[in-house]
Amino acid sequence: MTLWLMAGLLFTPLAWAVLTLLTDFVWGRRVTWVGILVQVLVSLGLWLTVAQHGGFYYDLGGWGAPLGIELRVDGLAVTFVLLTAAVASACGLHAGVYIDQHKPWHRYFWPLFWFLWSGLNAVWLGGDLFNLYVGLELISLSAVGLVALGGNANALRASIRYLLAALLGSLAYLLGVALIYGQFGTLSIAGVVAWLDNHSAPAGPGLALALMITGLALKTALFPLHRWLPPAHGIAKSPVSALLSALVVKASFYIAARLWLAFGESLGSLAAAQMVGLLGGAAVVWGSWLACKQAQLKQVVAYSSVAQIGYLFLLFPLTYSVSESVSLQAQQGITLQVISHALAKAAMFLAAGNLILSVGSSRIDALAGVSRFLPFSLFSFGLAGVSLMSLPPSGGFAAKWLLLQASLGSGQWWWALVLLAGGLLSAAYLFRIYRASFAENPETDQFFHPSKSLEIIPMVLAVMALGLGFVSEQVLSVMALPFAEEGAP
Amino acid sequence: MIRAVRTCFIALACIAFSAVLAASIWAIAGDPGQGTLPQLLSENMSRSGVEHPVTAVLLNFRSYDTLLEIGVLVIAGIAGISMSKTTSLEDPELRTSDPLLYALQRWFIPLMLVLAGYLLWAGADRPGGAFQAGAVLAATGVLMRLGGIPMDFLRPGLLLRLGLVLGFSVFLLAAVVSVIGGDAFLAYPPDMTKPLILVIESVLTLSIAMVLLALFVSAPVNDAEDPEEGDPS
Repeated sequence: MTLWLMAGLLFTPLAWAVLTLLTDFVWGRRVTWVGILVQVLVSLGLWLTVAQHGGFYYDLGGWGAPLGIELRVDGLAVTFVLLTAAVASACGLHAGVYIDQHKPWHRYFWPLFWFLWSGLNAVWLGGDLFNLYVGLELISLSAVGLVALGGNANALRASIRYLLAALLGSLAYLLGVALIYGQFGTLSIAGVVAWLDNHSAPAGPGLALALMITGLALKTALFPLHRWLPPAHGIAKSPVSALLSALVVKASFYIAARLWLAFGESLGSLAAAQMVGLLGGAAVVWGSWLACKQAQLKQVVAYSSVAQIGYLFLLFPLTYSVSESVSLQAQQGITLQVISHALAKAAMFLAAGNLILSVGSSRIDALAGVSRFLPFSLFSFGLAGVSLMSLPPSGGFAAKWLLLQASLGSGQWWWALVLLAGGLLSAAYLFRIYRASFAENPETDQFFHPSKSLEIIPMVLAVMALGLGFVSEQVLSVMALPFAEEGAP
Repeated sequence: MIRAVRTCFIALACIAFSAVLAASIWAIAGDPGQGTLPQLLSENMSRSGVEHPVTAVLLNFRSYDTLLEIGVLVIAGIAGISMSKTTSLEDPELRTSDPLLYALQRWFIPLMLVLAGYLLWAGADRPGGAFQAGAVLAATGVLMRLGGIPMDFLRPGLLLRLGLVLGFSVFLLAAVVSVIGGDAFLAYPPDMTKPLILVIESVLTLSIAMVLLALFVSAPVNDAEDPEEGDPS
C-alpha cells in the first residue's frame, strides 16, 4: 500500500504536468480537477499511514543511500505534503475560474502549476542534499515561469529579478553541497549526521553550512535579501502570488531549518545563530513598517510576507545550545507558524485578487465602498488577518505562544519583544485596509461581482487558518511520531 | 567617488570570500578521504546495465535527480514558448537564399547528426550520453535556423509541445512501470536495464535538443500582452 501511495505522490504531479501541456486551458482545467482529487487522496493516505505506523526511508530505484537517493518520509514531511495539497488545490481551483481562458498563453499555467507542486513534494521528502537542490530548481524555475506568464513588461522585469536572486541562492547552496561532499564523501543528510555523531567536527565545512543557509535565506527573502520578493509577488496573478507566498518561500526555509537542526549543533556557532535571529527580527519590524506605507493592496500583502518570514528565522537562535524541551517548543512553534501563515496568506492573496477584480484597481484607496458590495471576500481577508495578527484562537496565536514560551524558557527575552512588535505592526497595516474598504465613496457604485466559487475558496482557507489553533495539538502529535531508522517500506 | 568606493568595497568582499573559500577547501583537502562511495560504485557497476560510471550514476543510481532535471529543462522550454505569441517561432524575414550558406550546410548538418548519434551511443562505455548528444543536435538546429532553412515544426503547436515532453514522458513511464510490478519507483527490471536506458537516452536526446532549440528561437516578438491585475483591459 505504502509503495503505491509513494509512487502516486511522486508520479501524479509530473504526469499531470505532461497531460496539461498537451491540452488547452479549458481542458487543462478539467484534467487538473481529476489530478487534484488524486493528489489530495494520495497525500491524505500517506499522512494516515505515517500517523499509524510512523515514518520510514524510501529508496528510489531500489538503491539505498549513499549510492542512490533516499526519501525521508516522516511526520513533518507528510504534514507539509498535506498542507501543500490543501493550499495548491485551493489555488488551482481558484485559478481555473480567475484566469482568463481566452488568452492562448494561459494554457501554460497548468503544466507550470503541476511542476511546481512536484517540486514542493520533492523538497518536503528529500533526504539527499543534491536532490534537494534539484527540487529547489524545479520550484524556482516554475515559479519564475508563472510570474512571467503573459509577458507584460513589468512582470518580465520582476521575474528576471526573481530568477537572478533565485539562481544566486541556488549556486551558493550548491557550492556548500560540494564542500560537504568533499568533506564527508556522502550527499545523504542522515549519512553526514551519522558521521558527525562519531567524530569531532572538522574545521572545513563550517563555511559550507554558512553558504547553504545564506543561499537559502536569499531564496526565502530574509531581510536584507528580501528586495526581489515584493515586485514578484505583487505583480503575479493572485493565485500565483498565493502559491508563491504560501508555499514556495517555505520550501527553501524548510531545507535551511532541516540543515540547521541536523548540522547546526556541530558546525554552527552561537554568533551565527543570534545573527540569523537578529535578521529575522529586523525583517519582522522592517517588513511590517514597509507594509504600512504601500499604496497597492497586493504590495501590502507581499511586504507582510517579508515580515512573517522573519518569525521563521527565530528558529535558529531558539534551537542552538538550549535544553531539549525548549528546542522542541521552538520547532513546534515554527511548524505551526509555517502552516498557519501558508493558509492565511493564500487566503489573503486570493481574497485580494477578488477585491481587485471587483473594484477594477489594485490601489488601496480604490477599495472605498467594497465592504457593501463584496462583504464575503472582505470577511475572508479579515479572518486571514486575524491569524496574521496572531489573535486567539488562530493558528498564528498558537505558534507565537509556543515561540514566546521558548524564548522565555531559554532566557532570550529579546525575541519576545520582536513577537509583540510584530503583532502590533501587523494590526496596523491590516486595519489600514479595512478602514479604506469601509469608507463610503458616493461617486463609485460600479462593482464587478466575481463568481461564488472564487469567494468561497479563500473563505475555506481562512477558516482553516483560524481553526488550526484548536487542532494544533493533533497536528503536532503526528510530527512527534517515532521514526523507524532502518525500516523498509 | 561613491562609485570608486563601491567598486573597492565589492573587490574587497570578493577577495575576502575567495580567501575564506580557499582556506576551507585547503582544510577539507587536507583531511583523509572519507566515505566509501567510489568503492560502492565500482561494486555495483555490474548491476547498472552500462559500463561508464557517469552514465550509471545519472541513469540508474541517481536516476530520480536526472528525471527531475529533465523536468527543469521542460519548464524552461515551457516558460520560453509561453512568451512568444506569434503562430510560428520562425521569422520568415530571416530566411536567406545564400547559395554559399546552403552548400556549407549540406556538408555540416549530416556530419553533426552523425556526431550526435555517436555521442549518444558512446555514453554506454565512455564520456557521452543524452545531454551531450542533445546539445549537438540543438546546435545543428541553430545552424539551420541561422542559415535560413525553413523549419515548420517550430510552431508552438501540439507537435512542438509533444517534442518537448517526449523524453520526459518515456522516462516517467519507465519509472512507474516498476511500481506496477511491486517494486520501488524508478527501479528497472534487472534483465531490461540496458535496453531501457538506451531507449530513455535516445528520446531524451531528442527532447533536450528540442528544448534548447525552442529556447533559442522563441523570443517575445510582438507587443500583445496581458494587462496587469486591476488595469482596465
